[in-house]
Amino acid sequence: MKKALSLILVLVMALTLVACGGQSATTPSGGEEAGSKELNIFMWSDYMSDDLVANFEQEYGIKVNLSYMNDNADSITKLTAGAGDGYDLIMTCDAYMESLINGGYLEQLDLSQIPNAKNINKAYWSEQNQGYCVPYLMNYIYVVYDTERCPIEITCYNDLIRPEMKGQIGSVDGARNLFPIALIALGYDPNSREESEIAEAYEWLVKYNENVVAYGSTETNMVNGTISCMFTYDGNTAEAMAQLGADNTLTVAPFTADPVQLGFDLYVIPKGAQHMDAAYLFLNYICDAQVMADNLVENPYSCPNDAAVAAASEEYRNGPAFDFDYKTNVFFQEDVGDAITIYDKYYQMLKVG
Amino acid sequence: MTAPKKRRNPLPAIAQAGPVSVWMVLFVTVPMLFIIYISFMSRGTFGGVEYTPTLTSYETLADVTYFAVILKSLQVAVVTTAVCLLLGYPFAYYIARKSADVASRLIMLLMIPLWTNSLMRLNAWMLLFQTNGPVNKALLALGIVQSPVKFIYTDALVLLGLITNFLPFAVLPMYSSIEKLQKAMLEASADLGATPATTFRKVTLPLTFPGIFSAIILTFIPALGTYTITDMLGGGKVLYIGNIIKNQFGTIRNWPLGAALSVLLLLITALLIFLYSRFAKIEDMEVL
Repeated sequence: MKKALSLILVLVMALTLVACGGQSATTPSGGEEAGSKELNIFMWSDYMSDDLVANFEQEYGIKVNLSYMNDNADSITKLTAGAGDGYDLIMTCDAYMESLINGGYLEQLDLSQIPNAKNINKAYWSEQNQGYCVPYLMNYIYVVYDTERCPIEITCYNDLIRPEMKGQIGSVDGARNLFPIALIALGYDPNSREESEIAEAYEWLVKYNENVVAYGSTETNMVNGTISCMFTYDGNTAEAMAQLGADNTLTVAPFTADPVQLGFDLYVIPKGAQHMDAAYLFLNYICDAQVMADNLVENPYSCPNDAAVAAASEEYRNGPAFDFDYKTNVFFQEDVGDAITIYDKYYQMLKVG
Repeated sequence: MTAPKKRRNPLPAIAQAGPVSVWMVLFVTVPMLFIIYISFMSRGTFGGVEYTPTLTSYETLADVTYFAVILKSLQVAVVTTAVCLLLGYPFAYYIARKSADVASRLIMLLMIPLWTNSLMRLNAWMLLFQTNGPVNKALLALGIVQSPVKFIYTDALVLLGLITNFLPFAVLPMYSSIEKLQKAMLEASADLGATPATTFRKVTLPLTFPGIFSAIILTFIPALGTYTITDMLGGGKVLYIGNIIKNQFGTIRNWPLGAALSVLLLLITALLIFLYSRFAKIEDMEVL
């Protein structure tokens, strides 16, 4: 009796284990011939309106499964490990495109299947990238300060390391966001691969670090008065300005010469994706002027889709976060290849202190 | 049922210990061995791991900057643990001397903060202590300060956060040790002429040592490895070993180095357990 009972118990447990294992293994599937019924997307969270996804699902009868990354490194890890089995679209940024294309991790795009791509300003979509990605939204990383609380007027990156700015700055984090501004301040190429230049930039950043109160949560810290100056994304600035409302005394720093970083978040199709047809439908859908214009209401970031910007609300187009006159004085984060390990080394030193 | 010759039947053992063993091997032992394994591998340019053996990660660890961080982390963990013991022991003693009814209520009070996610608690702290927050507003209104005090993103707040977070884990094992202490022992000690201080030193403390040691382990090790508290309250500026490990697997993408740092943490933990086993029996350790 006892023996039978324990046997049953063991069997039940074994079955549960098998059942658990089986379920996760069968997730990525779909019929190719009749048109895919699902689409698996990996991207940043809070970065695309729920309505956009729901409307797409309804219009095409395709179930969209979204999963989210915490760091740019996540999508690179997924892509280089061969993400085609699990995902059909992955969001990454322009800085990694060269290596991803050279590494053969991406499907080449057939642009004839994305007619709405004509809406995208080619200035923001380099020729070598056109065959492999579709830009989604873009971010300026610039300096914003509070005209009432910030001790000095900021017109260049070197102002950020002045002693008056001690304890005033909130900043975005990440080696490839911080080092370029130091390199520019020192008169070097923001995408330098020279160790000596990166080492000098490190010394500059040590001084910057002394003035920084906190990395991350810049808009919260600005709104609650912990900082009076921030090096941050335009979208976060728009949020902070909206929260302050009538009390807004923030202004985008009137830079005179230093260029600011412009970065793109873009969609790529990983090699061997299972639902290519659905991925194309989705890419074409988000390039539609009205669809993207509606998406900008919830995600007020800079947008490379000119037709969508033209169709967007006046509030978006006249937003104070986008009101600065050096929009074309920009630099891009380029793929620095193996030099990334030099950046990581000095970034680590900066962080370890 | 007649019992024939006794034969070893493996089924009950498999049914009882099997699932846990499989679970532990799959989800604890194998990942841990894998961490040790990749700590001896090279980093890929893109992050990830290249499977060519190297000692680079351990050589990096020997670098003075890392040594400084490890030292700083140990220091903070020691201070956190010491404060938790100093605050926790008298409180545990107090609870243990109350009637079971009162004691369970006091324990409950101690546990209530743990009912919410620690991130929620940390966020609440941030809201309270931020520059425009209620604490600063109250201080300004009362005229205690003239301009808002910067509480958040300071070492002091990080330490306060750590202590608050780990105090319950220090009190509970000490409580269960002290509770087991027989009153007769203390009376015998007094009868034999010991002063209360001597009794405490010679009887109470040694007998409750397993509880104290568990408290040390339960606060010191998590305090050494934590990164959420230091990240949130420290503003990503004050980095401890936990943050550095997290960064290696995140933004810096040097997995082998992250793994080597994790191995170092494992060794420190193992050393603590070893030290304990020299002084007392592992079975006596009060782990809830």
